[in-house]
Amino acid sequence: MDGKFDIKEFADRDVEGKVFDINKFADRDTEGIIFDIKEFAVHDGEGVRTTVFLKGCPLSCTWCHNPEGQSPYSEIMEKAGCVKCGRCRAGCSHPECQPFGRCLHACPKGLLRVAGQKTSSHALAKKLCRDSVLYEMSGGGVTLSGGEPLMQGGFCVSLLHKLGEYGINRAIETSGFASDEVFRAVLDECDYVFCDLKIADSAVHRKYTGVPNEQILRNIDTLRKSGKKYRIRVPLIPGITDTDENLAGIRALTSEDEVQYLPYNKLAGAKYAQLGREFKLEK
Amino acid sequence: MTYYDYITSGEHKKYRRPAFDGRDIAAEFSAEFLPPEERMTRRFEALCANEDAHIFDGQKIVFMRTSSDFPDVFTPDEWTEIKKTHFIHELGYTSNVTPDYKRVISRGFCEILADERTNEYEKREINALMSVVEKYRAEAERIGRDDVYEVLSRVPWEAPRTFREALQFFRIVHYALWLEGTYHVTCGRFDKYMYPYYKADIDAGRLTDEEALDLVTDFFLSFNIDSDLYPGVQQGDNGQSMVLGGCDADGNDWFTRLSEICLLASGKNKLIDPKINMRVSKSTPADRFVKGSRLTAVGMGFPQYSNDDVVIPGLEKLGYSHEDAAEYGVAACWEFIVPGNGFDVANIAALSFPRVVDNVLHRDFASCKTKEELTTAVKKEIAAQCANITSSVKNLWFVPAPFLTLFFDAPHGDVSRGSKYNNFGAHGTGISTAADSLAAMVKYVIEDKTVTAEELTEAVDSDFEKHSELLPILRNEAPKMGAENGEEADEWAVLLLRTFAEEMSEYRNCRGGCWRAGTGSAMYYLWHASEIGASPDGRRKGEPFGTNYSPSLFAKTPGPVSIIRSFTKPELVNNVNGGPLTLEFDSSVFSEADAPEKLGALVRYFIALGGHQLQLNSVSKDVLLDAQAHPEKYPRLIVRIWGWSAYFTELDKPYQDHVIARQEYKL
Repeated sequence: MDGKFDIKEFADRDVEGKVFDINKFADRDTEGIIFDIKEFAVHDGEGVRTTVFLKGCPLSCTWCHNPEGQSPYSEIMEKAGCVKCGRCRAGCSHPECQPFGRCLHACPKGLLRVAGQKTSSHALAKKLCRDSVLYEMSGGGVTLSGGEPLMQGGFCVSLLHKLGEYGINRAIETSGFASDEVFRAVLDECDYVFCDLKIADSAVHRKYTGVPNEQILRNIDTLRKSGKKYRIRVPLIPGITDTDENLAGIRALTSEDEVQYLPYNKLAGAKYAQLGREFKLEK
Repeated sequence: MTYYDYITSGEHKKYRRPAFDGRDIAAEFSAEFLPPEERMTRRFEALCANEDAHIFDGQKIVFMRTSSDFPDVFTPDEWTEIKKTHFIHELGYTSNVTPDYKRVISRGFCEILADERTNEYEKREINALMSVVEKYRAEAERIGRDDVYEVLSRVPWEAPRTFREALQFFRIVHYALWLEGTYHVTCGRFDKYMYPYYKADIDAGRLTDEEALDLVTDFFLSFNIDSDLYPGVQQGDNGQSMVLGGCDADGNDWFTRLSEICLLASGKNKLIDPKINMRVSKSTPADRFVKGSRLTAVGMGFPQYSNDDVVIPGLEKLGYSHEDAAEYGVAACWEFIVPGNGFDVANIAALSFPRVVDNVLHRDFASCKTKEELTTAVKKEIAAQCANITSSVKNLWFVPAPFLTLFFDAPHGDVSRGSKYNNFGAHGTGISTAADSLAAMVKYVIEDKTVTAEELTEAVDSDFEKHSELLPILRNEAPKMGAENGEEADEWAVLLLRTFAEEMSEYRNCRGGCWRAGTGSAMYYLWHASEIGASPDGRRKGEPFGTNYSPSLFAKTPGPVSIIRSFTKPELVNNVNGGPLTLEFDSSVFSEADAPEKLGALVRYFIALGGHQLQLNSVSKDVLLDAQAHPEKYPRLIVRIWGWSAYFTELDKPYQDHVIARQEYKL
């Protein structure tokens, strides 16, 4: 399977890093890595939702708007405004700072932060449960996004299962790029699925996202047959996915689906500079 | 030019002219040794004599002030003399109260003039006002506006028979209350006392809902005609607040089709007056929050919500009868007051919580070995500050207000001397700055012992020039209300607010009323912040506190839900002098059709958790531009980018520019 990261490497490990069958995660407290939790996420499904962003993605879409979601490892982000006071590089003994070679607690302007916090699925579910009354009042719940959540399939299954036990509605936003087993196992624990279909032609898909789309199409087919509520999402990237040819191709592949087209926004590249990376699409 | 265009363009101001032309009436009154009531009445009569009648094309509810000047009735020397023996609140004139409009509107001036309880000053003012009504009647006849002529032939001389007559009556007396010199004249439960007139018209088939909406929309414009002539700290700070919905004394829900029409009219006009408040509770149906949220989406910052489940019992605890508490409305901003018999001064003083902490830090903290000892010191300091505040107001005096008195239960014959309730309210400012500071003091000095009390004090006193390594820790990592790690700060907020209320409840004021503790700040969030230097929460010298009941400006909160969870922990039933939690949203939050449902659910959550008052802002382009120039003022301004949301001020400039550009075609 193509991709930046071998999805098998991450999808089915528990909190201690032991590998298990993906179907055995439901009750297993599992460690995952997330890079954000957004409250009152009004664009991520029905009702008032809290969206958890899982870190790591096997795709590398040129237009990606969450670049800190791509690597499955913690990384440092720095907002603009550094006055080069040198305090973060003066050396410190905090264990959490050592991997980055910079002190995270020293910036007088508070410009540094780490994207990527490890968390236990059960602890996270419990925390998300605090607002279950709000979810109930609004018909909302929790949405997993990323990154590609399915890259941490075991963590997803465990977290979603626990949320289900608490009676919380669960949605997921995925690229659809995962093994059959992981996709099915996570699907089983979801109430609603947003699955992307970015590009109809597999070769073109590979050119712009780093992976082909056959596996995605197969998973979408699994989704259709699952009886779960779902929606196919198509990001409209100028000159890449919004071409007449691609849109016709997508229409042909999704004739029986509910499809939502997401307009592209130039702001997508906002976070690249903070990671010290270049936003290629901007050129 | 339509009536709306006249008002919004300011063209109507060309009809204004001065009544006194620079005459020093205070000096004239002073030379004649006139009593205050006589002065008030003479000024009112002179203004009425100067008023001109103007009726705009299509305008239904008439009356507009045309006198451009408004001289004081006392000379500066006289004020100095008065202040030697009296406490004078703000401008010295009656303000910030809710008249009982029903008391006047349901009778009409003919009956009131015949009433033996009506005194000579009141009668003279009524007669002066009737002379202005006559001018309008003549003008209506001259230009062939039979509809206006007919309405004015009935009201305000007699009680209204129709909804339109009732609205016209209200407009005339509201105009007159301001013209007499009362300011921040609020509207109270408009949809409740106006409902009988609306209902009678609907039942009789005289009025359709569409016509009612047209009438109310036209009527709401009248709040914006004279408002630039009203006194206030800022343009718009004129206290024309209106309350919709809420329960009655028997617990029945009072939200009618008329309440809904008022919400729609406000959204249609898109003008800042009247300021809409909605009374809700945990039994309020979900769809009402959706209706309120549709108005929020318009971007004017209202409705502001208040929670009957908290406010009514809170007022009862302060000594209001259940019947009076159930009729509560809001004063100019947020203070809960009762109409017709409440002559409370709800904003007479303010306690600065950060000042309390600052005093404790400098005096007691070095000797506090435990959190309990710190708690004791904090409570003692609050007690001392409350003693100061309550002893600072003695012999309060207001300029008498004969016309206003007509709307009140006034045992002394003049409401400025008091009514059934004569309570004083004190704001409580900078709650999050104080609670966050105390949490940091406990965490780093008492518990972790990574910093000594002396070091922390030195850091604060030097504005973090000394021990500068503490600043990023205190500012970015220490517990903060509304933030993920804020529990300890929340606990302090609970204690601070409870102690404030307990201490205030120990005192009676100079009019025999009680002292009410609140969570508001008004302008004090700037004044009080400038009184002290930096604070142990990492706030630097010169930085303001959060406004009202809000997180610190640099608290990193995960979002509105965490803020709500944090700010509903205190027992707010004890702090019903009022002061809202304020949440800001970018208008892009409202881009999808179901956004009002979602926002409505968030408000319901706040109410269910026991919040007392909530303000929501949908932010416009002007605010974004201001945010770009002054990012420190808008740390929680959320903007939607695409698949993610961001804090506007954290975006780099090109992206900010884009968000601003995007606002242009969304409007």
